[in-house]
Amino acid sequence: MIMIFISFCAHTQENHSISGYVRDAANGEGMIGVTIYIKELKTGTQTNSYGFYSLTLPSGNYEFQLSYIGYKPLVKNIFLDSDRSLDFEMGESEAILQEVVVKAEREDANVKSIEMSVNKVEMKTIKKMPAFLGEVDLIRSIQFLPGVSTVGEGASGFNVRGGGIDQNLVLLDEAPVYNSSHLFGFFSVFNPDAVKDVKLIKGGIPANYGGRVSSILDVRMKEGNSKKSSFSGGIGSIFSRFSYERPFLQNKGSFIVALRRSYIDVLAKPFLNETLKGSRFYFYDLTAKGNYKVNDKNTIFLSGYFGRDVFGADFGFNWGNSTTSFRWNHVFNQKLFLNTTVFYSNYDYSLDSDLKKENNQDSFRWNSNIVNYSIKPDFNYYLNTKNTLSFGGQAIYYTFNPGQATATSGGESRSIGLDSKYAVENALYISNEQKINNKLSLQYGLRYSNYRYLGKGVAYILDEKSAIPGERKDVTEVISYDKGEKIQTYGNWEPRFSANMNLGASNSLKLSYNRLAQYIHLLSNTTASSPLDVWTPSSNNIKPQIANQVALGYFQNFADNEFEASIELYYKKLQNQIDYVRNADLLLNPAVEADLLRGKGRAYGAEFFVKRNKGKLNGWLSYTLSRTERLVEGLNNNDWFPSRIDKTHNISLVSILETGKKWTFSGTFTYSTGTPASFPTNKFLWQGIALPHNYFDNRNTYRIPDSHRLDLAATRKNKHAFFKRGESEWVFSIYNVYNRRNPFSVYVRQNEDNPALTEAVKYSVFASILPAVTYNFNF
Amino acid sequence: MNLRYKNILVILFLPFLWSCEDVITLDLKDGVEQLVVDGWLTDKPEDQKIKLTLSQPYFDNSDPNPALNAQVILFEEDSTAHPFIDFNNSGEYILPHTDISFLRQGKRYALYIKYQGEEYYAISQLMRVPGIDSIGFENFKFPFAPTDDSPQEGMFAQFYAKDPVGEGDTYWIRTTKNNKLLNKPSQISLAYDAGFSPGSKSDGLLFILPVRQSINDGLYVQNDLVHVELWSITPDAYYYLLQVRQESSNGGIFSTPPANIPTNIVNLNSASTKKAIGFFGLSATSSFSALADTLKAQPMR
Repeated sequence: MIMIFISFCAHTQENHSISGYVRDAANGEGMIGVTIYIKELKTGTQTNSYGFYSLTLPSGNYEFQLSYIGYKPLVKNIFLDSDRSLDFEMGESEAILQEVVVKAEREDANVKSIEMSVNKVEMKTIKKMPAFLGEVDLIRSIQFLPGVSTVGEGASGFNVRGGGIDQNLVLLDEAPVYNSSHLFGFFSVFNPDAVKDVKLIKGGIPANYGGRVSSILDVRMKEGNSKKSSFSGGIGSIFSRFSYERPFLQNKGSFIVALRRSYIDVLAKPFLNETLKGSRFYFYDLTAKGNYKVNDKNTIFLSGYFGRDVFGADFGFNWGNSTTSFRWNHVFNQKLFLNTTVFYSNYDYSLDSDLKKENNQDSFRWNSNIVNYSIKPDFNYYLNTKNTLSFGGQAIYYTFNPGQATATSGGESRSIGLDSKYAVENALYISNEQKINNKLSLQYGLRYSNYRYLGKGVAYILDEKSAIPGERKDVTEVISYDKGEKIQTYGNWEPRFSANMNLGASNSLKLSYNRLAQYIHLLSNTTASSPLDVWTPSSNNIKPQIANQVALGYFQNFADNEFEASIELYYKKLQNQIDYVRNADLLLNPAVEADLLRGKGRAYGAEFFVKRNKGKLNGWLSYTLSRTERLVEGLNNNDWFPSRIDKTHNISLVSILETGKKWTFSGTFTYSTGTPASFPTNKFLWQGIALPHNYFDNRNTYRIPDSHRLDLAATRKNKHAFFKRGESEWVFSIYNVYNRRNPFSVYVRQNEDNPALTEAVKYSVFASILPAVTYNFNF
Repeated sequence: MNLRYKNILVILFLPFLWSCEDVITLDLKDGVEQLVVDGWLTDKPEDQKIKLTLSQPYFDNSDPNPALNAQVILFEEDSTAHPFIDFNNSGEYILPHTDISFLRQGKRYALYIKYQGEEYYAISQLMRVPGIDSIGFENFKFPFAPTDDSPQEGMFAQFYAKDPVGEGDTYWIRTTKNNKLLNKPSQISLAYDAGFSPGSKSDGLLFILPVRQSINDGLYVQNDLVHVELWSITPDAYYYLLQVRQESSNGGIFSTPPANIPTNIVNLNSASTKKAIGFFGLSATSSFSALADTLKAQPMR
């Protein structure tokens, strides 16, 4: 690799490099993905995840044009005769009503950039969209994007292009979040007041990302206002939010602390009688981040998230994530940028049948967790205007505690321990973004990932030969391994490729291919994932999941970039998908691998997207036509069947109307085909109970009814928050405006009064209009 | 954990109060009629029955048709045959109680059925069962009145029995309240050793608290007669009953993909397209009866 640099460097001596950061004028935050266009050379670059840019140009006088949606374009004339550093600040465009004085020529990033299958939603937009119970929610908002769906209202997580919820790498400041939900999936763990930028990558995933096969949700936290201190917060129907941010050490550093807590319990307390006084049911999260600019070349960041859901009275159940990431940005010179991330991430839950410990005869305590530590250096090398290299690696150390429990019955205790499992995942990558000419740019890269499943632990040898497909396998042998001893290894080459061909001034054709490997898996056999689901490592029996995806896209902007539009087609093949035998026992089962099945998956579809970025009325319309299928030996007579998350049609409309200084209105509408369902053909009476039987033993041949829903919101901006200071707003929102009972599932059951009779039931999670009012302030 | 837990759940799932269930009509494709075997023999001194019926379209709520003129025989390990007879021509094949003293713990038994030219068999084993030591009551009052017409105040019962040492004992706990069997699928109470599942490593313990308390259906009131029977079952019967319970209330957010309930009825001719469904089981039993008496019950906690 060093050889490559030396040879490249030799060619570029007569040029000069200019580099620096682009920051938000209002709060000093580094801005991600700002387009910098050099008018004279008709070329440019984009800032990276830290707001850093670098350009290498021949000596000369240049007009730099900086543009970013929602911000005033910035034009600067720069004379370049030596290497130099230069930082820019951009300000938000006041309102759409004002005349835009400077017209940027480069608001067509979606057409010109190499990225495809990428959606960015501005936090500003997310905050204006109607929110469920008035609580702005990132995960719910991205479900309006093409290719993104959910198995049903109220389910945790999200599905991208036919992938499971565990196939999304959800990153909060580069640390993975293992369970992105509060309250079983009603709310996500991201505090909107602390989020700066959200990017969802569904395809053409660059080589610097890996470890999950479907998508990357890259959430970047605010750095904290480096210009002035400010308080902001809100009072909603579920949460109260409060955040504080300020600069420190002569504005060289800044931090933000944001806290949310639900308060149903606080409100309910006066209504509870003695026995329930001790009950606890709340959830909270604390998000904090600080950064400190050591000097022009070094900046450090420390971010943390800590959230927890707590339920119980004399019995308790709690779960939560915590993540900490430390990052160091180092600018070696105008061309070489390094970010090193060290993170810790943890998800755990515990159950206790007797919190007050008043019964020493009978109790049950149980806890489970996944913990990982990682180091991840990422280099950006801005070789010349035509080539930008990225390279780096990652090492992750995992420990899995699938479940430790102590059961006491009649005073006698048993510890029901599943041994912890250990694994190491390493990766190296290199990638280059190359502009061949004005028409064609390429991004090509390679990632090699290596995985080791380590002792101390045991390997279960299963009787694969005499196993009946679809049924539980027998364990023939259990082999013990010592600490650090290798139980199983896997390695995968993961090539990545993207191409952008400009067809005309405002349209382009893009193509991408990626191969991804995933070594850890969430064992979940329920329609929606529950907080009790356990992450498990690849082993001698569980093979890593592999995805191969190709995508083709056509991108076009209309009316002077007022509208952007795209059509994307994708085809994805998945290997080693996990399925389950009937009656699979996934919790506290040492031989859980015997209950798992392995299958193939395929997903394909078309995504149509039109977005209006400007004007009083903006928003987007997306339509996804897709199919997601599975093939698992022993299920559905060994034939392909639609997966449980398959939705043929999925339409989303998001519109925001800004009438002026005072009022903003917004509405969202979604329509989707019902998910597949299996029903029995026959019933048989056994011990007086009517039992279902599917004579054909096929799966997912029916569909539940379609879902559609309209949500509305109105935001009223007030002049001031408190005592003529700051600003505030009231947000009125209505979820499910026309009171539709969207089906979550349809199932059959016995009649409650007579188990010999049968009936079908449609189950809806949110079966009513849900209005809410939220008050937000900032001063 | 005690019953207060249930009330917490009401608050815990407060948001789920927005959820609702609507009974709807579904148009389903019908399958093919199959022989259904419903037979569970016990060592109780009463007539033993094997009921043979035919399966019917799922939403057909008429009584199932009996499978008549079948030949039903129970074989001991040494091939001693015990024929069952359909005395009333109703599909209920009976072995009179005077003839069942041959059942021995640990022995295996084969059920043979010949119906419409097809021969089927099923094998089960009589497993061991511990005795029930006692049934205890505790006075209890719900903080809220139950939504159905069950009482707000009464007694909460548990039975005491100890799983014998040796892993892999499985049980079906059957409760009769005032001579009425609690027979809702959700009330099927199963134990694996003294706990719920193989992973719970509860071998040789007193049955764990939730198992001991699984004999309640609301609260008991003064002079209710509680009769608890502990039935030994084979591990495959345990998985069968687990699936019966699962498929009977498999809806909502945390439902699993519906799957056919396994059967242990096998066609002797494996090439035949005629497959039977249902289950044949054998149980050794122990029992205990008690009258609910608030004065003898433990005081309210």
